[in-house]
Order: sequence, then structure tokens, then C-alpha cells
Amino acid sequence: MTSEERMQAVINLQVPDRVPVSPLIYYFAALYAGMNHADLHEPKNWNKAIDKCFHELGPWDAYYPLNFYHVEVGTFIFPMKVLEPGIELPPDAIRQFLEEEIMKFEEYEWIMSACRQTPLFSYLRLFMRWSPRIWDHVGEGWKSYASVLPLIADHLARWKLEFRDWRARGVTQLYGLGYEAAFDNFSMARGILNFSRDLKKHPAAVAAAAEAMTDSYVFMLRMVDLFLGVRRVVIAVHRSSNDFISPETFRKISLPSLKALVERLKAVGISSILHCDGNWDLNLEALRELPAGCAVAQFDGATDIFKAKEIIGDRLCIYGDVPADLLALGSPAEVDEYCHRLIEEVGKGGGFILGSGCELAPNARPENVKAMMESVVKYGYYA
Amino acid sequence: MGVNEKIAVLIAEVEEDQTLEEVRRALDEGADPLSLVEALREGMSVVGDKYEAREYFLPELILSAEIFREAIALIEPRLKGESMATKGTVVIGTAQGDIHDIGKNIVATMLRCNGYEVHDLGVDVSPQAFAEKAGQTQAGLVAISGLLTLAFDAMKDTVDALAEAGLRDKLKIIIGGGPVNEKVLEYCGADAFGKDPTEAIRLADKHLG
Repeated sequence: MTSEERMQAVINLQVPDRVPVSPLIYYFAALYAGMNHADLHEPKNWNKAIDKCFHELGPWDAYYPLNFYHVEVGTFIFPMKVLEPGIELPPDAIRQFLEEEIMKFEEYEWIMSACRQTPLFSYLRLFMRWSPRIWDHVGEGWKSYASVLPLIADHLARWKLEFRDWRARGVTQLYGLGYEAAFDNFSMARGILNFSRDLKKHPAAVAAAAEAMTDSYVFMLRMVDLFLGVRRVVIAVHRSSNDFISPETFRKISLPSLKALVERLKAVGISSILHCDGNWDLNLEALRELPAGCAVAQFDGATDIFKAKEIIGDRLCIYGDVPADLLALGSPAEVDEYCHRLIEEVGKGGGFILGSGCELAPNARPENVKAMMESVVKYGYYA
Repeated sequence: MGVNEKIAVLIAEVEEDQTLEEVRRALDEGADPLSLVEALREGMSVVGDKYEAREYFLPELILSAEIFREAIALIEPRLKGESMATKGTVVIGTAQGDIHDIGKNIVATMLRCNGYEVHDLGVDVSPQAFAEKAGQTQAGLVAISGLLTLAFDAMKDTVDALAEAGLRDKLKIIIGGGPVNEKVLEYCGADAFGKDPTEAIRLADKHLG
């Protein structure tokens, strides 16, 4: 099987020739290549660092793109003020987000109105409205479009070339572009205290605005993925875990818009990778409402992935979850043992992708990363 | 239902506007400010219990902590030199190199709600700053938060800095945050770890209460 066929098989809940592996690597690559984190702002450094990882610690099946050619593009996905290594932070720090109010409460109503007026472009309009609140150099109104759209276009054009190079090496892409789901976007953009108040006092407004944005999410994701030639998207749900919200809030307020988005994307042939950071144990039953074979649930080590296999394994492909602390502080033998268990139990019957729990820890031990990669060759063949 | 009981119930039900309205009314009617603080603490104790029982989640915890803060701001000017009894002194902060503060802020507020004097050093706190503040305040507990794996080394350095300052035997050190577990505890050399705010309160009560 090619790496793409392998990925397609597991997402369709079929048994591939072996378990695919796709680690989420960014800052780790810098340390491994002897650079500091700030060096990755320079594209040639990123290429050099990720190549070194691929050749010495890989190979992997799917490339997990996380390199932004322009930091403003990241804002289009995570609507928060950001501090970057080498700019606001020391060069060896990692990118961090500030919990500030970007979205005003009145904008739930603005979103409803925008979605009625321009259903396909409400996402774009909303983010162009927010951009000047995040970046001092981005002007209001048309100036924000003039500042940010060329950067997004340049970023996507460069990713397209990058993806072509990876395909030439026999490596597919995990996804073309990703967005934070609408509910989670609001949580980040409102800030956790404001959003807690919204959920208590105005839950219907939150749910309605999230659902109203579905048309524009589908349109944007479809256009970008057509351009990049990848039929998968990442939908991050950072604020829907039980570390943040109750299973009831998830089922009633977050899930309806998420479900609508996943179903609509599936209808146009796009699979969704749900980036489920945090503990999702109490949300697992509700995830069964998603149509079978339409999505991947990616866990970061906080969710009981073995329990997830039992509860949603017949509905969703499962992806994860070698924990950050194990990769940073454990031994290769411990990593090997954990990966073996993942492959045997979560990989049973297919529908499983091995990966690091969220982003590979920058200070992961290289020998542990190697042990994770090698485990799919040692234990991951089905026949 | 008496006014104190009513306030305790309202904050326990995370009713922001009603709690604050009731506190204002009670103050206007000459209620004892310290008894109002006690009522708020009782209500927050219920919130903590419900959080632990997974009946409440982060939004309820955060919002109730904010209500507590707002109510205390109303009450404080009426205290006229009366001081609220404390169970001990805690120095808290997010480890150097890490600016995540949601969890740290909740723990700090919950500790205050539970009667601790809390010195919150903020985020990206150097080991030396932890040691200096712990020495100045004669803290019985230092709480270090971190969400990044890069914070593990900073936590270890903070434990070492407290030892170098001659404070290691005079206080307890707890660590907390998403990736923190037994393995990280062992690496850092702290005394205990907690995964959520209620565990932090329990650890504080165990060591200081």
C-alpha cells in the first residue's frame, strides 16, 4: 500500500497492510537539528530540520504540516494574540497564546446577520474583523483584507509546493488546512472567563452562532483543499474537552455545529481529523453521533485511548497518543512497550494511526522518537 | 433562609448578578462583612465539591471564582481593619518559560476562597523569584504550574533554587498542570502533584491546614 492508501484505509475503518504513523513535529525538529526555535521562522531552516528528522528518525506515512510561512496565517486558525520565539519571547521558547478578549459579546448577533447576508464568506469576514484586534499592523475594513489575504495566498502556494515534494518521497499529507471549530473559536476569541459567562447566561446564542457558520466553514475548507489537493482537514476542538466543558454542554452546544460540519464535509468527499486535546472520556458516547467512517479522533494522552477504542472504534478512526511526558522523560523501552500496546489494542481490526500525543514535545528524547517510529515496523503489520 | 445562607446558595449555583445584588443589599443593611465572606466561602466549598463530583466543570469553577472576587471587592472596604483568618501562606506562579495561566489563576482563587493568603507571581516566573518571595513571606507552600513539557526543567530548577535558599525543609512544593504526573514529580523533586484545582486545595490542606 502507498502511504495515502494506508491513510484512506484506516479512515474508512478498514484494515491496512500496517499501522500508519504520523507524528506532529514542529519545535522538536529545531532542537534535534541543533537550532533554536526562532530559527524555524526561516523556511530553509524548517526544511533542513524536518528533513533531518525524516531521514534519521523516520520515515513517516503522513506529513503533519505545522509551519506557518506568515504568523498572521496562524491567527486565521487560532483567533488569539500570539507571542513568538525570537520576537516577543526568547529564541528557545515556544509559541504561546494570550487569553484576551478578541471577540465582543455583541458579535454573536453580528455573526447571525453576516451568515444571513453572505453565508459562504462569514468566516472570512469575521476573521478580517478580528485581525486588527490581534495585529497592530493590520488595518480596519478593506485594509485588513489587503494585509492578510496576500499572506494567506502566499502561504498556501508554498504549502502546495511543499506537499508536492513530500508526495515525491512517498509521504502523503495528513491534512490540507485546518480550522478551530466554531464553538472552540468563540471560546478562544472571547477568553475563558467571558465564554464561561456566555455559556451560563446565553447558551442558545453560542450554539446558534456556531451552527450558522457551517456554510462558510465548508466553503473555505473545500476551496483550500481543492487547491492543495488533499481531501482531509483538521478541525481542532481545543475547548470542547471535559477539561473545559461538561458532557452536557458538549452534546447540546458544541456537538451540533461540529456534527453538521463533519457531515457536510463528508458529503463533498472530505474527511475530518478532529484534534481532540485534553480529556474527552465523558464525550466519547456523544461522538458516536458522528457518521461512521467520516472522521478521525486524535487524542493527546489525556483521554483514555483504550476506552475510546471500545466506545467509538466502530465509528471513528483513532489517532494518537504517545504522551509528551513519556517521550521527554521515559526510556526507549518504555516507549516501545506503550506503542506495542497501542498497536495491539487500539490498532486491532484497523482504524488506527500511531502518533505523538498532540505536538511532539520539543524536549523529547530522539531515541524515544525513533522507538515510536520503529514500533509500526516491529508490531504494526496486519498480515 | 437567612441572608448568609442565601448568598452561599447563590454563589454555589453560580448566579453572578443575584449573588452580587444580595451582597450589596446585605452590606447596605449592615450585615457583618466577615460573616458574608464566610458565606461566600461556604458556597465556594459547594462549587469545589460539585467540580470534584464532575457535576460542575471549568466554566462553573471560573465563573464562581470571579463572583467570589467581585463580592470580596464589595466587602473589603467595609472590613474596617478586621482581617480575614488565613490557614497559611502560599506562593504560586507558572514556571519559567511558560505563560499559561488559566489553571494557575483558578488554583490561586480557589486557595483564596479556602482561606489561604496567596501571593501570585504570575507567569514565566524565574526560580529565583519563587525563592525570593517564599523567603520574604515565610510561605508554607510553593505551587508551580506548567502546561509545557519545557516547564519540567524550570520546575526542577525552582525546587533546586528553594533548596539553595535554605527553604527546602521549611515548606512544601506542589506542581500542577496538564502533563504533570508521577514521573514528572520524580524528575522535579517536588513533594506532590495535582491534576486539578480541588487536588491543589486538598494538598494545601494536608500540608498547611
